[in-house]
Amino acid sequence: MKRSKHQDVFAERSAVQAAPDAKQLRKLAGDWLKQRRADAELSQADLAARLGLKYYTFISQVENGFSRVPTEIMGAWARELGLEPGAFARHLLMYYEPEMHRLLFGAESK
Amino acid sequence: MSVVAFERKQDNGEWSEKELSTLAAAFGAAIARGSGRQWETATTENGDAQFYLLGPLPEQACELCVSRIGGRYILEDGCGRLLFEHRNLELVALHAKAAVPSTSWLMVRAITLWVAVRNAMHEKVEPFLVEGEELFVQFAPQLAALA
Repeated sequence: MKRSKHQDVFAERSAVQAAPDAKQLRKLAGDWLKQRRADAELSQADLAARLGLKYYTFISQVENGFSRVPTEIMGAWARELGLEPGAFARHLLMYYEPEMHRLLFGAESK
Repeated sequence: MSVVAFERKQDNGEWSEKELSTLAAAFGAAIARGSGRQWETATTENGDAQFYLLGPLPEQACELCVSRIGGRYILEDGCGRLLFEHRNLELVALHAKAAVPSTSWLMVRAITLWVAVRNAMHEKVEPFLVEGEELFVQFAPQLAALA
């Protein structure tokens, strides 16, 4: 998986910084997902259809940073983007549950 | 001959003021009652309007989302579950209002009051109970001997 500018943003975060803004982190996750979808040359409608969603509005909801990728479709979402599901989930955990990610993988693995 | 000017329905682009006021009115109670909820708008990559009802801090995650695609209004929850869809926004707004996750304000007040009363009672009654228990422990052997 490519290392994006967002990963660098995480690496630079100070340990003493206040609790990260969940909304802001979800937006970063959304930007990353949007970029990965563009890399896979899929539109929001294409991805929604492949995930079995009737409308592409939920893809937009996630990419706009208002919602998370639900755990139950995380694997399928990764595969449709041509990414390895484990690495995909681990990367999203960094945005969605940064403290959990730090505990599981340590700060150096970002 | 008189011509009735029908309002043209918006099919694409940003929310019209009328649409926004309909949605804001539907979610008004949820937003206004100090729940910490907010709403925001955004668009899909095709420029379809989206209205998000966000939960309280710190998460501020989407609880409900209303989108307009080709003149059709789509109501989804924050997990992407399709709750309702229709061409009539008022109808969708009605469903949206009913779908707002609610911890009833009245229920919260009632629970808070109950806990406060229970604590106050506990503080006042506990010394008597402890005293009674001590007395019972003292006199129990004598009562047993008499029995």
